[in-house]
Amino acid sequence: MQPAQLGRAPRHLLVCERGHARHPRSRHAAHVRDHAYSCRVSFLIPECGLLPEVLKSTIADIGDYYLVRSLPIHELVAHEFIDAFVKKGSCYALTYKTKIDQDNTAALLPNGKLILSVDKDTYEELGLQGRPSRYSGKKVMRYSAEGSTLMSYFSKHQIQALRPKITFSTLRDLQCPVLQSNDLQGKPEESCSTEELFEWLGAVLNQVSLDNKSSSFLSTYCCPEPNTVVEKAFLCTITGFIIPEKIIQLLEQLCCYFGEPKLAYWLTLTVHGFADSPVSWRESEHGFHKGGENLYNFVIFRNLDYWLQMAVGAHDDCPP
Amino acid sequence: MAAAAFERRVLRRAAEHHYLRVRLELPDGGARPNAAQFKQLVVTALRELHGEVGAALPVDVLTYEEKSLSAILRVISSGLVKLWSALTLLGFYQNRRCAFRVLQVKPYISVSTCVIWQQ
Repeated sequence: MQPAQLGRAPRHLLVCERGHARHPRSRHAAHVRDHAYSCRVSFLIPECGLLPEVLKSTIADIGDYYLVRSLPIHELVAHEFIDAFVKKGSCYALTYKTKIDQDNTAALLPNGKLILSVDKDTYEELGLQGRPSRYSGKKVMRYSAEGSTLMSYFSKHQIQALRPKITFSTLRDLQCPVLQSNDLQGKPEESCSTEELFEWLGAVLNQVSLDNKSSSFLSTYCCPEPNTVVEKAFLCTITGFIIPEKIIQLLEQLCCYFGEPKLAYWLTLTVHGFADSPVSWRESEHGFHKGGENLYNFVIFRNLDYWLQMAVGAHDDCPP
Repeated sequence: MAAAAFERRVLRRAAEHHYLRVRLELPDGGARPNAAQFKQLVVTALRELHGEVGAALPVDVLTYEEKSLSAILRVISSGLVKLWSALTLLGFYQNRRCAFRVLQVKPYISVSTCVIWQQ
């Protein structure tokens, strides 16, 4: 390997946007809507110890998702299915336990498009011409759609309704970076940059100890400077198959959190996409490469300015 | 309200660090290394493959779970290939057979592969 290649990491992209949530042309909701398949949503509210009132109903109403086993994919393009569910909108489906870089994978988008990611042999067998076709593979599917009618529609297959797992925790004495909403790059001694905030948030969500000295043998990682210590911070994590419509509701309620005076200067909402999803944003193909990352994070400020970071790996197009 | 300003920056290959989720396999079932011993093992792996210069590569053990011998490591992006190759080629810990499994490599520290499939 050439010396230059030894020091080269795989290509990755981080898109950082700044805007205002109440601006008529703000694209924050569009970005959420374009990212169809999310498996984990976390929000962190500094200076808060309990789930805020304004969020209670959205959390309670996150909605079930359904696991259907041994479902032939051609059933998704059946007229009855399309009339009953796809035309009503908000119908999402993704194959279960399939690895995007090894297995045949399928995904149904709410606009009715079926994305198939198939291996060479399957492609040749099927004679696909870039359009969905009859596909007799037997795969387990996951759906998220309105109502209990999915249970009756697929009653002859094994269908199971699952509830997303929701956990709450209160973090004590948390060091939080100081941020200026109008300055994505940060200023030394005054505020942290968007990349520092993103790294810090990843550390918090992975329970990395921030109470550390940079001279420690084990790790030199510390909270970025400048930072303040907050007495408590509320962290909620929702794991399951969560649809963009629910995330938009959650985002809206988090903006409403600042409708009354609060001690916190900002809060965050982080959404992870499925590592093995065939698409990331809109219909851009997504690949696993070494991590399958496709995630985004909002920082909502008191004045409803927001920062949005969208991160993808080597086998992804740039998020819109 | 400040003048509504919109800004967009696209950072390509800009992550300063990469994060590796790793697990050490020690099939003999003997005593497990503690966090400091684990870090020392990583340094030893770098020294064995890349020499003293390699051993000086700053690697952070951000989290370590002794029970499962799994950890999240952080390395500067230009050191990723050196660290990963060193971990892959490490075969012994205190004369006991071992292997590092590199589970995920990411430029952003995000959660592990979703656990919802285990339901």
